[in-house]
Amino acid sequence: MQIDKLSFLQKIGVYIATFFFLLFILMPFIEMIRVSLRPMSHLMTAEFSWWSEDFSLQAYRDMWNTVPLLGRYIFNSIFVASAVTVITMIVVIPAAYAYARLDFPFKSLSLGGFLAVNMFTGAVLLIPLYRVLRSLGMLNTYWAMIIPGVAFLIPTGIWLLRSYLEKIPRELEEAAFVDGASRLYTLRRVVIPLAVPGLIVVGTAVYIGAYAQQFLFAITFNNVREIQPLPAGLFEFVGYQDTTWNELMAAALTGITPVMIVFLFLQKFLVAGLTAGAVKE
Amino acid sequence: MATLDLQSITKSFGAAQVLTGIDLAIRDKEFVVFVGPSGCGKSTLLRIIAGLEAATSGQILIDGTDVSAAAPVDRGISMVFQSYALYPHLSVFENIAFPLRVARLPEAEVKQKVGRAAEILQLTEKLSLKPGQLSGGQRQRVAIGRSIVRNPKVFLFDEPLSNLDAALRGEMRVELSALQRDLDATMVYVTHDQVEAMTMAHRIVVLNKGRIEQFGTPMELYHHPATKFVATFIGQPNMNLLPATVTGTGAEGVTVEFHGGARMTLPVEAATARKGDSVDVGVRPENLKLGQGIAMRLRVLERLGGTAIAYGQMADELKLCAALSGDTTVHEGEEIGLTFSPADAHVFDTQGRVMRRRQAPALAA
Repeated sequence: MQIDKLSFLQKIGVYIATFFFLLFILMPFIEMIRVSLRPMSHLMTAEFSWWSEDFSLQAYRDMWNTVPLLGRYIFNSIFVASAVTVITMIVVIPAAYAYARLDFPFKSLSLGGFLAVNMFTGAVLLIPLYRVLRSLGMLNTYWAMIIPGVAFLIPTGIWLLRSYLEKIPRELEEAAFVDGASRLYTLRRVVIPLAVPGLIVVGTAVYIGAYAQQFLFAITFNNVREIQPLPAGLFEFVGYQDTTWNELMAAALTGITPVMIVFLFLQKFLVAGLTAGAVKE
Repeated sequence: MATLDLQSITKSFGAAQVLTGIDLAIRDKEFVVFVGPSGCGKSTLLRIIAGLEAATSGQILIDGTDVSAAAPVDRGISMVFQSYALYPHLSVFENIAFPLRVARLPEAEVKQKVGRAAEILQLTEKLSLKPGQLSGGQRQRVAIGRSIVRNPKVFLFDEPLSNLDAALRGEMRVELSALQRDLDATMVYVTHDQVEAMTMAHRIVVLNKGRIEQFGTPMELYHHPATKFVATFIGQPNMNLLPATVTGTGAEGVTVEFHGGARMTLPVEAATARKGDSVDVGVRPENLKLGQGIAMRLRVLERLGGTAIAYGQMADELKLCAALSGDTTVHEGEEIGLTFSPADAHVFDTQGRVMRRRQAPALAA
């Protein structure tokens, strides 16, 4: 279409802007990769350069010896984030559907309440949460990281999914109702299959949230090394004398790689989900 | 199949009264069309019959049983929606089979019933496709297929043809009429299109502002509209209304004087007419002929081939429309004269009620 046409100068402008934007976002990652590839002794001395002769994968080999439980930490991270995501989705799907379609007392008030709860960061609630988890005997278990994680992500999940479910034509559900389908049957056979792109978007947002917030819960509610997630486990690279920065960066990058690969495959759903209903088909 | 009775149905949304005192008796195997302008309550009435909406008061009886509180599926109705409401993630087969799956019928029975529905609707070749791969007319047939597999007592259609283009709409009208005959079913059909109503219905319900204006056969509505609203709503192009004053009543009818002084005695029941009353004289465009009488400046002439529709204005700015023969020689901008036979005139009193015509054509049974 004509409206998409940019002049040559405009195109150059767009590319320059994109370049600076990406540079700003990606610089920390580039620095992480650079640090992870260089030997410890050279880190603090050499000038900055994009490429240097001393790059090697040595840190990626050594890190497993420096922190023997590293594999376990990576598994814990993924396990906790996945468990949080699964439990959150099980709760969020029916809740979001109810908010999208049913009428009940205090509907908008409770929805606003969820948003208000989201404004408290986890840090403010750490001490009350600690007391609750202690009386439930859940400190130093996976539950200590999963349950608060789920609780903090449900409101976001409901808000995101509700707006997606509202876009599913009401007539589809009415047709199912006329044919004798119950609410739950309609949810299972009609609404959820149609909401798959939305579910992937919400699932991804929840997973990222769960992955990011587990550090806080892990260092406060957990003392057991074996169930520590990666962000907390990375502290083991910080020694009394010195910090093996290159191995720390290598471990961090290794830890997020499996997740990154999955998200790369989900990307096309993400884009489809974020723009669904934006234009008339 | 089944009869459908509505008894003093009312419906209000908050303070807004949408339907008032709807009484209707629909016979077994009858094809009834609800027609009216948008906002007249016809869709709401259909949704109340379907059980998607609860009436504020009144009863719905299907086959003499009160189903007002029953769930849609227990009423024995099925419904075809305006947007078809097909499930885009399911195949045509599964779309048609949906009500049977809900009822947990055995696989063999599902296959047999869906197969038969597909045969009736010529969808056998398309069963494995997704709705997105079908044309508008085929989607429409899938939606109908889903409604017939369950063998309901009453079929409900909510403006099912409004999303189709004009040619396909004409085709589907014929198919729907044939389907109704083949299935021997009671059908209720909602539309805002009076052509659909006239062509398909056994009887038409004309709704206006939440009330039934008239319930009758298409030709009854055409020849004996009960109100001015029905008269102008049914018939294409719309009926002309000429304001006039009653100058006398007698055995042969009502004598009126038009603006401009022309007098005419019209053969209608004169019981409610009084001398000096303002009335509207309704004349259908197809009853107007060229000749000495009403003078009209012809503004636009639409030649349709068989007929030519002439739009124009009378001396007092009153708009007028006449259906002339296709090979008429009049020209746009010309002053033409129009006449009509007194027997073709409809007379409406000040409240818009008709004075019954005496010499209307006999109605086909």
